[in-house]
Amino acid sequence: MPPKSILKKTAVAANAPPAAKPVNQRHLDVALHHANIIEQRKSVERLVLDTIMDLMDFPVSPDADPKRPSAADARRFREAVVPFQPADYDSLIEERNIADKCGYALCPRPKRKAPSSARKHFIDSSRGVQIVDKKVLEVWCSDDCARRALYVKVQLNEEPAWLRQGEHGDKIEIMVENAEEHHKALPLRLKKETAPPPRTNTEEDDVAAAWAARDDALADLAAERGEKPGNLSKANNELIQEEIKERVASAPPMPPSLPEQTSGSHMAIEGHVPKQDKKEHADAEEDDDQDWDKHLPG
Amino acid sequence: MADDRGQYSPGLIRMWRVFRTTREMMKDRGYALLDEDTQITLAEFADKYARDDGEADRSRLHFSCMPTEDMARKYTPLPTAKDPDPQPEIGKIWIEFNADENVGLKQLRDYMAHLVNGEYYSGIMVCIKPMTGMALRLLRGASGIAEGPKGGVEVFVEQDLLVNITKHELVPKHVLLSREEKDQLLKRYRLKETQLPRIQVTDPVAKYYGLRRGQVVKIIRRSETAGRYASYRWAI
Repeated sequence: MPPKSILKKTAVAANAPPAAKPVNQRHLDVALHHANIIEQRKSVERLVLDTIMDLMDFPVSPDADPKRPSAADARRFREAVVPFQPADYDSLIEERNIADKCGYALCPRPKRKAPSSARKHFIDSSRGVQIVDKKVLEVWCSDDCARRALYVKVQLNEEPAWLRQGEHGDKIEIMVENAEEHHKALPLRLKKETAPPPRTNTEEDDVAAAWAARDDALADLAAERGEKPGNLSKANNELIQEEIKERVASAPPMPPSLPEQTSGSHMAIEGHVPKQDKKEHADAEEDDDQDWDKHLPG
Repeated sequence: MADDRGQYSPGLIRMWRVFRTTREMMKDRGYALLDEDTQITLAEFADKYARDDGEADRSRLHFSCMPTEDMARKYTPLPTAKDPDPQPEIGKIWIEFNADENVGLKQLRDYMAHLVNGEYYSGIMVCIKPMTGMALRLLRGASGIAEGPKGGVEVFVEQDLLVNITKHELVPKHVLLSREEKDQLLKRYRLKETQLPRIQVTDPVAKYYGLRRGQVVKIIRRSETAGRYASYRWAI
């Protein structure tokens, strides 16, 4: 008889892949939800990058005037900078400067040249003579452009675009001298006239109307959260439990009472209450100077 | 040698060191370069590339090189049923020394367009100062965008190339494994690739060798007890 192996008999190979577990639908949903959020963030970052590349070669016509930009240019610029953070706007200015343009995106002129190639310059300002970096001097073509560009920067939302909630703060104003023209050029938004619903008394119509009203309300809520149709919804319906559990009182509420003083819980040492009182009592009873040897063996 | 150096401007000497390290880097990666290409002396360099004002002329330093057969074999994926004759994932590379003080989106896009027009597989750009943040962002997403070259663009700052870091005595030898060798390694030790120790692709040595995600390097160190000791790292 051959010696018996002490090793366990294994039917599967040691390095076989573990059997496929059934997918937990909830875990899958949560993972997908978070993956979509990251995806959305990436797409926003890509959008910002593309916008900057677009605005680098702005404005298209070389004789555009930053004081009186054309309505189309102004609208494009205003819409383009909405997803920007101030830091993104700084990057845009930096990139335009590297391309040797004025930092203000609506100005076609080249940036100003510093008086000499020295790294620092003395500049007379209202606060006396200041030493200024050459780079700072060469950002804009004129102080006027600087003011117009910074006027846009202070309106930008500090919150990254993928975290923004709601529609507020997406109206960027620009400093222009022909403001009336721009307001005229804006597309007019007509309020939809809602026709009064025909009066019917059938129950089915009521139900349908109720559902339609619910859908409208949900759409309004989504718009309030800053979602656009076709985009990822921030409120994921599948991940929120629909069942609402009411807390139902099973017994009339009782006022709390003080714990009994005799429980001695304040004396407890890790749950054990030493019986000190009893011992003292016993000691007092037979207080005898002879009893010290009672306990000794022998 | 010391009085020899006195006659050249510091900028030229600096550029010479950068150029030499870049050449060495391409040779270490496996591109076809001769030994004398990498061992250019300062006098030769000044003779060839110096401008009248004594500085190096960066626009004349650009060069391109082809991978050797060995390298092409290393970069070839294993044949599969679908693709029985795979092409090597490496090709002609263009190295450019950018002379602009600041490098932004504009220069990077011009460079990528040049790579695509010249049918280069990948490119290396050596700039004076670090690129702008937006340019780096474009670079990160560029491997997926059709705009850039297939093999991507690597960017180095001149300062990082002054010294060849792989020649330091504390830097062990790194050897890139081919796809086949990687499979053998995983089979030999019965591992999945995720069970290997890792190295980041942003690690200075990994950048020097141009490691890509998923490749495995063998690191050979000296050992007091065993003489040599090899470990493997998975680039992530």
